[in-house]
Parts: sequence; C-alpha cells; structure tokens
Amino acid sequence: MRVRKVLAVLCGMTMMASLLAGCGGSSGTAQQSEENTTEQEETTEAVAEEADDTAETEETTANISGSITVWEHSNSFESALEAVVAGFSEKYPDVEVEWEIKDGDTYYSLLSTAIQSGEAPDVFWTNGTSSSNMADLVSNGALMDLSGEIDFSDLEQDSLQIATIDGKQYSVPWMTLDTRCCYYNKDIFEQEGWTVPTTFDEFEELLAKQKEAGYTPISQCLTDTWSILFTYEPVLAAMEPEYVKGLADYSVKATDEPAANALNKMLEWKDAGYYGDNVMGVNGDATILAFTTGKAVMYIGGSWSTSTISGNNPDLNYGAFQIPDNNGTRGMVGTYANGFSIYQDTENAEAAKAFVQYCASLEGQTAWVQATGGVSGSPKIEASSEIVQEISDAETVYTSWQSVLANYAKEGESATTIWEEDSVKLFEGSVTTDELMDNIAAVMQ
Amino acid sequence: MKNAIKKEERRSRKRRPYLAFLAPGMIMYTIFIIIPIIYVFVISVFEWSGLGEMKFVGLENFKTLFTNDRIAPTFWHAVLNNLKYLLCVWFIITPIQFLIAYLFWLKIPMFKYFKFMIFMPYVISSTIVSFFATMIFDPNIGFLNEFLTNIGLSQLTGSWIGDPNMAFKIMIILIIWQGAGSGMMIFYANLMDIPKDVMEASSIDGCNEVQRLFRILIPLSLPSCASIIIMSSIWALGVFDIPFILGGASGGVNGSLDFVNLVFYRYTFGSALNGRSELGFGAAISVTMFAVIMVVTLLQNKILSRFEYNND
Repeated sequence: MRVRKVLAVLCGMTMMASLLAGCGGSSGTAQQSEENTTEQEETTEAVAEEADDTAETEETTANISGSITVWEHSNSFESALEAVVAGFSEKYPDVEVEWEIKDGDTYYSLLSTAIQSGEAPDVFWTNGTSSSNMADLVSNGALMDLSGEIDFSDLEQDSLQIATIDGKQYSVPWMTLDTRCCYYNKDIFEQEGWTVPTTFDEFEELLAKQKEAGYTPISQCLTDTWSILFTYEPVLAAMEPEYVKGLADYSVKATDEPAANALNKMLEWKDAGYYGDNVMGVNGDATILAFTTGKAVMYIGGSWSTSTISGNNPDLNYGAFQIPDNNGTRGMVGTYANGFSIYQDTENAEAAKAFVQYCASLEGQTAWVQATGGVSGSPKIEASSEIVQEISDAETVYTSWQSVLANYAKEGESATTIWEEDSVKLFEGSVTTDELMDNIAAVMQ
Repeated sequence: MKNAIKKEERRSRKRRPYLAFLAPGMIMYTIFIIIPIIYVFVISVFEWSGLGEMKFVGLENFKTLFTNDRIAPTFWHAVLNNLKYLLCVWFIITPIQFLIAYLFWLKIPMFKYFKFMIFMPYVISSTIVSFFATMIFDPNIGFLNEFLTNIGLSQLTGSWIGDPNMAFKIMIILIIWQGAGSGMMIFYANLMDIPKDVMEASSIDGCNEVQRLFRILIPLSLPSCASIIIMSSIWALGVFDIPFILGGASGGVNGSLDFVNLVFYRYTFGSALNGRSELGFGAAISVTMFAVIMVVTLLQNKILSRFEYNND
C-alpha cells in the first residue's frame, strides 16, 4: 500500500515534469512575420550615413579566425543559410561557422535560455522591429549595436527600418521582400480556358467558375491564423487599395470598415465553398500539398512557398499573380525580411562581425535572395526565377496590415495576439467580424 | 534505559548502509525533479520572459489565469478535455486493451498475426500517426472523402477533424489504434502468467467460460490493470503531440482538440499572452495543473487500493 502511495506521488511528480518538459514540440511551419512602418526613416538614414562613413573597404580576411555559432529560425531558410556560409567560408577560411536551425515557435525561448545560461550563439536571427523580441533583447543588453561597425551601403534604405531601434542598428535585413501572391495551376487554367484576372470582380467571377466546374478554387486552411492572414492581406489590398495606402502612415485605423469588409468577403467565400466544402477540416501542412497535387486550382500564400511548391511537385506547371483591384492595378503587400544580429558578449566578436558584414554585402545578399527563391527587394539583385518575376509583377507595394497591428498597439498590449486567436474563431463562427475588430481596436493606439 | 539507547544506536548503525545506497538516487531525484518543481512554484509569482529582470507580481498570474475573460474559459475548457480523455482511458481504452488480450489468450484463429498487427503501430511515432490521419481525413487530399465520393456516398463526406463533434472521437480512435498494443501486451503477459493449475481446478469445478472470465481472469489481471491505468493517466494528462498535429496549436475547431499542454505551449512559448514568451504565466498553469493532477492521483489511489484488495 505504501509502495502504491509512493508510486502515486512519483506519478504526480512525473506528470508535472512532463507538463513542463513535454511541451518542447516544434511546429514545422515556415511562417514569416511581417514588419515595417514608415516612422524612424530619419534615424535609419542617419545610421546608413554613419555606416557609409565607417565602411571598411579593404580586405581584412587574413587576420580573422576563430569559430562562431549561427542560429536561424526556420527550416525553409536552410539552403539559403548554407549558401551564405559557403560564400563566407571561401572568403574567411580560418573562421569556422557552425549553424543550427531552431525551427518552431520555441525559437525565442531557446534563445533566451541560451543567453541566460551564457551559451548564446554568436550570431542569431530575430524578427527585427516587427515583434517585441528584438527590442526586449536590446533592453536587456543582449544585442551588439552594429551602427558604425557594419557597412550597410549595399542595402536599400527602406529595409533598415526593420533593424533600427532608437536610431541604432541591431541587425542586418535581407533584401528579400516577404510578400503574398496567388499561385495558380497553369494546366487547369489552359484546359478550362480561364485567364489570369485583370480586376477584382473578374477574380471573384473566376472563383465562381472554378467552383461550378467542380474544382476547389483556393486551397486554404482556416484553422491556421497565418494562412488566413496571407490570404486576407492581398484580398484587402485588392478590395480597398485606397484604405491600404493609408496604413503606411497610420492615417487610417487597422480596424476601419474596409478592413472588416475584406474579412466579410472571405467569410462569404467560405460560405460559397470557394475554399472547398469541408474547409474547416483542412490541415495547415496539407494546404500547399492540395495545390501541388492539383486538388485545388489556386493557393494564396507567401512568396517563400515557391521552393516548397516546386519541391513537392517539380513537374507542376504553375504561375503566380497579384490579385488586381478594380482599376486593374496590381498591388503587392510586401515587407523586407530581417536577418542576423550579434550577441553583445560574444567571445568571437571579430569573426561574428565579419560574418554579419558578409551578410550585408551584395555578394552575401545575392546568395541569400537567390537561394531562398524570394522576391528581390533590391534593383542590384536579380530575381532567381521566372515565377519570382511573376510574383514581383506589381505596380505598387503596400504596407502589411498585420505590421500595423504589431507597430501601433498600446504599450504592453499585443493586437497581433488577439488577431491570432480571434481570426481562427471568426471562421469557426465563435466570434463575429465586429467583435474581432472591437477586440483589436481596444488595444490599438 | 542505557540498554535501550545502545539498541537504538545499533539499529541506526544498521540503517546507515541503506542510506548510503539511497543517497545517490535521492540526490539526483532532488536535483532533477524536486528542485525544478520548487523553481516552477517560485517563478509562477513572477512576470518573466526568460530574459532580463524577473518582476514579482504575486498571484497576478493566477488571477489572470482564473479571471481573464479570454484566458480562463480557454484554460478550463482544456482541463475538461483532459479529464474527458482520462475517462476515455479508464472506461474505453483500457477495457478494449483487455478484451483484445483476452481474445489472444483464447488463441483465436491467426492470433499471432493479429497480435503483431495490433502491436506494430505502437512503434510508430505519434507525429507519423498524425500525418497518416491527415492523409486519411483531410477533406482536400485525404483518402476518406475521395473513397466515399467514388463509391457514391458523397453525402457522407465531411470535414472530420474540422468537425467539433467528430474531432475528439477521431483522436481517441487514433490513440486506440496506435497505443492499444502496449496495454494489450501487458494484459496478455499477465494472463499467460496465471498458473495452469488454477485453470484446471476451475474446469474440474465446472466453471464455464463466462465465470472463468469474471471470477478468475479479470480479478487476476487487476494488478496489471493498475499499472496500465497509471501509465495511461500520465499520458492522458500530458497529451500534446497528436492533438497538436491534428488540430494545430490553436487546439482545433472550437477548441475540440485543446488540451492543457497546448494552452501551456501557446501562452508560455507561443507568445499568446502578450506577444512574447511568458515563463511566469506558464509556471502558473503548471502549478494549477499540479493541483489538478494531485486530485486525480488521489482518486486513482483509491481505485488502485481496491484493486489490491481484490487481488489478495
């Protein structure tokens, strides 16, 4: 009996331990976050000028040696990181680079733990100013101020906003534009005699035709907030272009009527079966697979999905377009991606700076942009494929609606968190569009 | 009196070698289990992202957990799902495991083949099992809807895991399919261990099959039943991987696959509370679950002691 009691207590302890330890699962999704605002432009320009002044033009490879550890946050960037490390290693043969991908939602927790335990990587990714994490790291003295240390002259001025806090540069952005687009199956289009729509009304008509022809028009997962967002933003931009322009300087509110209209439009499409008849059961991981296997005609998602689509089905004949507005203008919701920062107390500062400097160079940026297959955000870097050129075929670039939530929430509040929870509930039917907008409005400036 | 003291000294000297043998285990257990648990209790009263200064907030994390309009219903709904799953373990999964073991013990035709087939999924990881489920139940690329459509039963197609009325049931079926093998093997080994003379004696006494099942086999299987319930309960209260992959981090449609570990994950690492990791709040969830688990453990203790009595 006593043994049983001990066993019971041990079980209780084990359950507690498993509760704490068992939650280390990682999601394999490669969702990127967005960023950007137009504020801080002056400061970023100043930083760039300062960087220009301090640019080191001579080769310093001979004197630099040591070993550095680099952390990335998503498996989808593995090949790009490999390409950058290979280029760097050629230039700096005496520097050993160990890199690790810490994929999943626990990335920042792992990073915090590593910093706390004195085992921080020398160089690591953060999401820049698009989330509170980089600011948190800066306020705790964990990031090196790169202003004056790194030459940013090869980068686009606009891109520096995501890496700047209080006028100081803490990371090197990548010249990839994280954008969304509508991928479509060219073979099915050709077979059915459909053409790429030139207005938003035509796009809606196309959806109806596809549904009528027995296809699933759009492969969508409505239980994943990122899938919802990556469809919502292009739909919003196409439906309400004037409103979306106002997001750039926050002259319109994130919860104004046009924002609600676009959500209602998506709900309308759900009811019309444009995402398939049983969309609530669609698994996030299977969304792209449904498109690549031809079960769905179109897929609206991030531009970084290109490599996954081609990887899933190399024979798929597909293209991409930006959903046009009713004036025929194709807008692209896009923001620069953030890259690496240096740990303040790194023991290999010179090697870490050399690596980050290589990332900031045209050579490093080109390697990254072309390996990711992403949309180039710099005229100096060519798009790596025809599909990327199709994605980039847009007359204007809009600010991400989600980045407005991230940047204009009240102090200590998180509008993105509310969106992440309630956007799924909206399609489940447990909250209404008005309730969702009210919940977000309550925490916005 | 002196003699008594000397006797006591001798006794305590005799005990010392046992202490020496116990010490390494106890020290390791204290370092790796007891201290972390105490640490969890401590950080549950702090606001802390895992980096920088820890801000003492008293019982604020618990207050948020129990009273916040958004968080409290989610948390209690997840606790209820865990308890619902626990009941399924006790009243559905374990009896099924015993039934299968009993059929094998009866040596039904091809029982060796079935034993192998039923045990095989146990060695497949939960992640792969969940992926199989996606390939079966996903409305777009899954096999099931396509099969139903092809045989002219398209009216029976559904969103399956996306249907709040079906998701939990599908998860339980998956868990039975994957995990029944382990409990079944323990029951089977237990049944095989029952002395033959007991069986022979029962036959001589004119015991029929039903009597043998209820008067001999089930009572003699209760000790292994206790072990299986203990293990399954740990699994039930700590379940994470299968619902996470089936329903995503949000816990499925209308929280149908939301369990405490998923809530813990979202609010601790998934920045669902305030846009960043919040270890203090996560610790408060853990401490609360510790209390819930203790209650469950006490209840289980009662059941187990009954089993022990029956087995004597």
